[in-house]
Amino acid sequence: MSILSEIFSWWGGNTWGTRFTIWKIASQVGEDEFGNRYYLQRSGVGPLGKPRRFVVYKDLADASKVPAEWHGWLHYTVDDLPDENYKPRAWQKPHKMNMTGTGKAYRPKGSILRPQKRERATGDYKAWKPE
Amino acid sequence: MSKKLIIDDTEIEVEDGITLLQACEQAGAEIPRFCYHERLSIAGNCRMCLVEVKGAPKPIASCAQTVNELRPNPDGSPNVILTKSALVKKAREGVMEFLLINHPLDCPICDQGGECDLQDQAMAYGVGGSRYVENKRAVEEKYLGPLIRTFMTRCIHCTRCVRFMTEVAGVDELGLIGRGEDAEITTYLEHGMLSELSANVNDLCPVGALTHRPWSNTARPWELRKTETIDVMDAVGSNIRVDSRGPEVMRILPRNNDSVNEEWISDKTRHVWDGLKTQRLDQPYVRRGGKLRPATWEEALGVVTQKLAQTEASRIGVIAGDLCGAEEMFALKSLMDRMGVANVDCRAAHEAFDPSLPRSSYLFNTTIEGIDDADAILLVGTNPRLEAPILNARIRKRYLKGGCEIALVGAQVPLTYRYEHLGTGPAALSELADGKHAFAEILSKAKAPMVIVGAGAYRRFDGEAVMALAARIARAAGKDKAADWRVFNVLHTAAARVAGLDLGFVPGKGGLDTAGMLEFAKHDGLEVLYLLGADEFDMPPPDDVFVIYQGSHGDAGAHRADVILPGSAYTEKSATYANTEGRVQLGLKAVFAPGEAKEDWAILRALSAQLGHTLPFDNLTELRAAMYKQAPQLQRIDDVTPATEDPCSALIAREGKVSDTPFAEVISDFYLTNPIARASRVMAQLSALKAAAATDARVTPFGTDEASVQYQMSPEA
Ligand code: SF4
Ligand code: FES
Repeated sequence: MSILSEIFSWWGGNTWGTRFTIWKIASQVGEDEFGNRYYLQRSGVGPLGKPRRFVVYKDLADASKVPAEWHGWLHYTVDDLPDENYKPRAWQKPHKMNMTGTGKAYRPKGSILRPQKRERATGDYKAWKPE
Repeated sequence: MSKKLIIDDTEIEVEDGITLLQACEQAGAEIPRFCYHERLSIAGNCRMCLVEVKGAPKPIASCAQTVNELRPNPDGSPNVILTKSALVKKAREGVMEFLLINHPLDCPICDQGGECDLQDQAMAYGVGGSRYVENKRAVEEKYLGPLIRTFMTRCIHCTRCVRFMTEVAGVDELGLIGRGEDAEITTYLEHGMLSELSANVNDLCPVGALTHRPWSNTARPWELRKTETIDVMDAVGSNIRVDSRGPEVMRILPRNNDSVNEEWISDKTRHVWDGLKTQRLDQPYVRRGGKLRPATWEEALGVVTQKLAQTEASRIGVIAGDLCGAEEMFALKSLMDRMGVANVDCRAAHEAFDPSLPRSSYLFNTTIEGIDDADAILLVGTNPRLEAPILNARIRKRYLKGGCEIALVGAQVPLTYRYEHLGTGPAALSELADGKHAFAEILSKAKAPMVIVGAGAYRRFDGEAVMALAARIARAAGKDKAADWRVFNVLHTAAARVAGLDLGFVPGKGGLDTAGMLEFAKHDGLEVLYLLGADEFDMPPPDDVFVIYQGSHGDAGAHRADVILPGSAYTEKSATYANTEGRVQLGLKAVFAPGEAKEDWAILRALSAQLGHTLPFDNLTELRAAMYKQAPQLQRIDDVTPATEDPCSALIAREGKVSDTPFAEVISDFYLTNPIARASRVMAQLSALKAAAATDARVTPFGTDEASVQYQMSPEA
């Protein structure tokens, strides 16, 4: 990331301003497997009557990057931090961000970007062909 | 006489002989039921219709007891019937609980879900939970043919299906065997049911035991758009409902119309639906270098315009097919009139109709409803079972009431009622006309006789003479009868025919008829042949004549065509149809035509502009206004214009020599009579099944067992 975009482009990732503000008022409480860091307000409370909780994304900022175990804490659903005892359930898949809008987005069969035959859909008909 | 009753505090006077259930309904009380059906005999085996009668020791099955059977109160006061009392509520809950003991809880995967009587009534009259913890009973699936999918564990033994097959369809193929928990619905020998009405049992089944196999698990009733329209598979004009989802027709169901199809439709009407999605003409084609090549509308219309403009009017021929709506026939006829083309015809080859005679000469004048009053019926050269299954069911209904003599002149075919076979050809008809045959006397003695002339009789070289003979019989039979009783009837086979004749879609002065045009084409006389959905004849060989085909399906006409203009099928346009009675009905558009196909009248309107003979209408309303001016009877939607003139004398005037050839059977394969049916996979399957059954000794294909013919309700019933 160039210096300029680290200063100004808040939509691409956290800027120096964000990092500075958070460093000023909050302290880090953990980091998830993807390198996103989580912070808790040091003193005072936020609008919910509790100390505010923050996430600083690694690289691109996208809310769907927060894995399940941190999601509950970040959204004030639970107060306990996921510690080393945290174990995903047997049926849980590894977390993956929402790929919509990226090159890895899901394309159904028959999409112009995935030239396979699409499945039968409502309204299909068989046209007559001469001979 | 009438009878006084008090139903839930309302005092009501009802006719004699009706059932308690009907009486309650007249009083506005809703009675739940499973086995009772207005058009079937009464079984009284589901017990859902229990009501309380004051003074009776137990609740009473209201569908199975008439109002006259109630025990009179000692003081002569009217009987009191309660439909909302605690006892009734408890009785209904009890019945419901018993029914649900063995009924699987598979509503989420059941095709009947959303239109299931059991679901609805369990909601309305059942209790919340089940006390039953034992295993449910299981019943093996049955094979009932390609149209009916069975889930026999769901059956609640109402026997509606059995009663329908025996009483209405007239084939003894379905029955209930075993008792109590072992009761099962079966065909006994595990063969497919072969009746042209069999799929109606799927509608009748109050639960999901019998569902439609061809469209099973494809749609839910609440996600479908319903369009009420008219069927074109035969000339009865059955009222149907086309259910569509998005651009696709998902199913076709009957609509109730007491004067036409009651609430039945034939299997062809219902399951031709998949033919609407195959073999579709979805873009124009033009033949270049001996091969049909895709073209744009401009190109195709350009070629047609050039060809029509270059050709002498007397060398152009126009034939309209069996499924056309009145609108496009009117548009085509008007265009041809403007161009001076006289070779136009909507009739099949050698059909002896003439619109210059009174309209009643080509109509089913008694009307379909009138069959219920007839007491002697003469069928001439027709097999109503294949030509109009719904009408045939009406005749059977009349027959079952008793006191109706039926006779047939023509091929000896298995019908669903007993008839006297008088002969196979015109010879027998002459005898009847001369009063030499015993049946002539029956006809003249009858109060309400009918003569029904079918395609086997009027579609032949000597059709006019045969019709004259039939008219003579009808006139003799009609003597001294009620003034408004019409004896002479024509049974058409094509949905388009009556409207075509009403519009005068027949050769103009010096013009050729269908047979003439085809003959003329063979001798290099005809240069251009315009086919409006006409496929039912041997196409003229290539090179002789330039064929323009406008239609919806790739069939004989499209294969032979030099230019194809893709039109729309009956579910894709709003069009007027007149059925064999002359009843005018309006079909509505359910879905859009596929691809580039257009509505037929619009194609003709566009063509007319290119030809420089612009037709004076730009939309359907204007077209209809012009059409009504020419044929005012087409204005009376859903109505029959009663025949005022007697057709007999006009028909008799056309008397001539008749040949000895026996009347032909015009429909060789019931399931494959038109381009849509021929494109349908289901119809092909049925046709193959029927052919196979013909060689199977176990089944009588379309046949009638003596037993079912003999089945008669007592005349008083
Ligand atoms: S299959 Fe359906 S119609 Fe036939 S008896 Fe069972 S529930 Fe009634
Ligand atoms: S409806 Fe009366 S017993 Fe079934």
